Amino acid sequence: MKISLNWLKDYVDIGLPLRELLDRLTMIGLVAEEREERADDVILDVETYANRPDTLGHLGIAREIGAMLRSPLKDQTWPLSDLPVRTSELVDVQILDEDLCPRYCGVVVKGVKTGPSPDWLRTRIEAMGLKPINNIVDVSNYVLFATAQPIHAFDLSRIAGPRVLIRRAKKGETLRTLEGKDVALSPEMLVIADEKKPMAIAGVIGGEDSAVTAETQDVFIESATFDPASVRRTRKELEIQTDAAYRFERGADISFAPHAAIMAASLLTQFGGKVAREPVDVYPRPRKPKEIVLRSRRIAEILGVEVGDAFVERTLEDLGFALKANQQGLWRVQVPFFRVDIEREADLIEEIARFFGYDKIPVVVPPFEILEPVPSDKDRIRKLSQGLFHFGFDEVINQSFADPERESMLRSGKSPVEIRNPISSKASVLRTTLLGGLLENTAWNRNRGQEGVHIFEIGNVYSWNENAAAEEQSLGLSTAGPLGAPHWKGKPAETDFFHLKGALEAALENLRYAPIVFEEAACAFFEEDYSLAVSFKGQAIGRLGQVHGRLLDLYSVKGPVYAAELNLELLFSKQARPFEYVPLPRFPGVVRDLSFLVGRDVPYQGIKLAIDKLGLPHLEDFGVIDHYAGANIPKDKKSLSLRFTFRNPKATLVAEDVDKAEQKIVKSLKSAFKIQLREGGGSS
Amino acid sequence: MPSPNLRTFQNTIDAYKTKLAEQSAQIQDPKALDELRHQFLSRKRGYVTILLEELKTFAPEEKPTAGQLVNALKNEIQERLEALEARLKAPAKPKREIDLTLPGEKRYRGVPHPIRLFQREIEDIFLSMGFSVEDGPEIETDYYNFEALNFPPHHPARDDWDTLYITDKLLLRTHTSPVQIRVMEKQKPPIRIVLPGKVFRRDVPDPTHLPMFFQLEGLVVDEGITFAHLKGTLEFFLKRLFGDKIKIRFRPSFFPFTEPSAEVDIECLACGAKDPECRICGGTGWKEILGSGMVDPQVFKNVNIDPEKYSGWAFGLGIDRTAMFAYGISDMRYFFENDLRFIRQFDLK
Repeated sequence: MKISLNWLKDYVDIGLPLRELLDRLTMIGLVAEEREERADDVILDVETYANRPDTLGHLGIAREIGAMLRSPLKDQTWPLSDLPVRTSELVDVQILDEDLCPRYCGVVVKGVKTGPSPDWLRTRIEAMGLKPINNIVDVSNYVLFATAQPIHAFDLSRIAGPRVLIRRAKKGETLRTLEGKDVALSPEMLVIADEKKPMAIAGVIGGEDSAVTAETQDVFIESATFDPASVRRTRKELEIQTDAAYRFERGADISFAPHAAIMAASLLTQFGGKVAREPVDVYPRPRKPKEIVLRSRRIAEILGVEVGDAFVERTLEDLGFALKANQQGLWRVQVPFFRVDIEREADLIEEIARFFGYDKIPVVVPPFEILEPVPSDKDRIRKLSQGLFHFGFDEVINQSFADPERESMLRSGKSPVEIRNPISSKASVLRTTLLGGLLENTAWNRNRGQEGVHIFEIGNVYSWNENAAAEEQSLGLSTAGPLGAPHWKGKPAETDFFHLKGALEAALENLRYAPIVFEEAACAFFEEDYSLAVSFKGQAIGRLGQVHGRLLDLYSVKGPVYAAELNLELLFSKQARPFEYVPLPRFPGVVRDLSFLVGRDVPYQGIKLAIDKLGLPHLEDFGVIDHYAGANIPKDKKSLSLRFTFRNPKATLVAEDVDKAEQKIVKSLKSAFKIQLREGGGSS
Repeated sequence: MPSPNLRTFQNTIDAYKTKLAEQSAQIQDPKALDELRHQFLSRKRGYVTILLEELKTFAPEEKPTAGQLVNALKNEIQERLEALEARLKAPAKPKREIDLTLPGEKRYRGVPHPIRLFQREIEDIFLSMGFSVEDGPEIETDYYNFEALNFPPHHPARDDWDTLYITDKLLLRTHTSPVQIRVMEKQKPPIRIVLPGKVFRRDVPDPTHLPMFFQLEGLVVDEGITFAHLKGTLEFFLKRLFGDKIKIRFRPSFFPFTEPSAEVDIECLACGAKDPECRICGGTGWKEILGSGMVDPQVFKNVNIDPEKYSGWAFGLGIDRTAMFAYGISDMRYFFENDLRFIRQFDLK
């Protein structure tokens, strides 16, 4: 809100240097900045709040300053030059919808010499950043910026009847607004109509047909109160924003309506206007001021400081409240009509705090008793991230928005959640996978000279699921290019599928989610024969593979890129293995290597499961130490070498026991996978 | 159990071993080596000879053990002497060829995203005060995002939280405050939580606005909580985050869900409140850092907490925005471009 320092001085004496005034205003909650300097004036920009429509005019800001400086407001008088006739004899005003218009005042001013405004008025209008139009329009704007009460001037000669009806619009009615825009009206909207048709949209904008022109002589000035929610709905529906609507939707001072009409009429007398003897004031259900009980004790309970009863009374009175003390420490407080924001005791306590000074409220560290912490995923997420950092993956965070076209090309198999009012068509859905963002990040970094891009993201993906919007916390991983910078000791290795898989395995194992099962499964993200499905305890939790060429083209990334996506929600819903300390072995272990040929199409995962299934009591660990296919090996075979560690934690293992276990393994693998032991491949 | 005698014997032998190690390290020439040999192995007065003499004092059952100890020592002495002899005789080592000033191996460790780093820094301060961390859905209902937080339908206050809608009733949360409601619905006071998370606004991207950013809110509900406690806790937090000397200012503001409400400013770190043209603080010397206030009684009523019995305060800050201010980052969009040169810098923090 623009505020002219000179204009403020019409209402209150300030007597403070500007800087100090601004600082003190800040400390009562009005942040003001110096916006511009004019001839002999300073224009401030004051930040106002949605609940304080009273501060949307100079009078309201002056009230705050008056209370802050304990300086009374100056009286203003608005002399009228009376016609011998009442407004009600000239215009018939009727409210047909009291809910949407609780009060309507109007006054007729005749014989106004329409023309350019005098300098004093032009200066004020220009200070508000507006262009002066003519004296009648400028007076309307002047009243609005002075008092925050919007008023409207109709050309009396263009009001049919003349009757002024405040009613809901009829179906099919239209209006050409002052801005020259034709709008269709609906019965939810309140209009100001004459006998024949709507003249204005109540509280929002006037119509062209009834507007004052250069020829206007007689005007009907409207000053009313409209239902805030109705004004807001209407102006949103019509997409019209005006200074009047801005104030009405926040709430106008219902007691002030007739004063604003008189103020405008009085100003028009300066241009030859003669004012009808009595304004019209239709106020079918006059309101009583709100009354709130305020307890002295409660103020201290909320603020943590005793402000003193005298301070409470003084402050509220300075702000225009009326206090009746019922008994010690309890007041009945009457709220002035211009404070639409004050409804409860808490609101009054805030007023007291504002003028007491937030800086004077003591700083007390509360004596916090011990509370049991609420369990959360935070620790698991931290640990998971740690595991991935260790493998050289950097963390990224992408926007949750996605381009619907790209999203459909990713083929996540989920239906995206659409945003009804997106900022751009390129960000109009929510991502259904983390993969798109990771590929975008890879392209971005490649274009800036970074060849090795190994990244992960933990965040939500979203989808429509049986008519509900679902969001699932997910982990996305991708790796491309060299694993490190060139170094004199040797060229860095290129990433591959197993770097990705290793990182994933380690991170999950670190969280004690084991065993994780990998199985070949096709997935639209990945090359046909280059992807695995990941599951834990029978629950599918994600997939990994080599990113499909079509996606590399889509994101302009040179491959290969390997990526994975896991649903953490599903994973975390499963119980991880509890941590258990295992004492150091007191007896030596026995290591045996086993080399064999096996069909190329036999996955290691199968062999591993088969060995696990044997449940050998002393098999401590085993793993692949060599894998080879090529020269010296039949075309349809591969050679695998496994290393087994056997140990009996309670005694020294006897060779025969190890032999027996080894034979069991060989037998089982032979029958399940037709393995052939290689020469020297077994130790027995 | 070994006898005291045997234990003393063992200690003597250990002492000789230490002595041997220390002295051999100082041998530079054959003469010194001879002296060392004489000292330990002389038939007449060498240490080994003395120990062998002592063997006679042991009981028969301990004699073999003691004998083994002496033998082990003797072997060790001989090995050492041979090694020293070889060292003294050996020709000068060929000059090392490798340039030791070449750079060492580089092992790359991944780094957290700066927003997470900063989020954890803030979380940890509150965790140290016994707060818990909670989160809730990003797709919210109008009720949790607005109504329960005392934004009536059709209230202009909603304009300050420009919203991305999915349906009439579903939206992307504009703040993490709905989590406050969700927590208060299921948990009775005392409550002490922080709520970090993604939030969304219908803001066109520019250096200081993005349609998605990160917020962290805090909520305390208990008997006897006052505005003075709000000041105390937030001052403690800000001093931990920005240093003990930081100047802090509380000033009145408006939020529908708190009453009284306070905006909290800290002195401008960019100009130290000295530059009237400062771009960060606009010359005011103050930078708005968080919003806060006493929980509005209507909010308590909405979750069936008695506002006469309990009171509380809440605050909220933008994680990314605060990080921008703390590190002097000029453009919020850097956070989500995910340029690794940007992200990796923060590992040094």
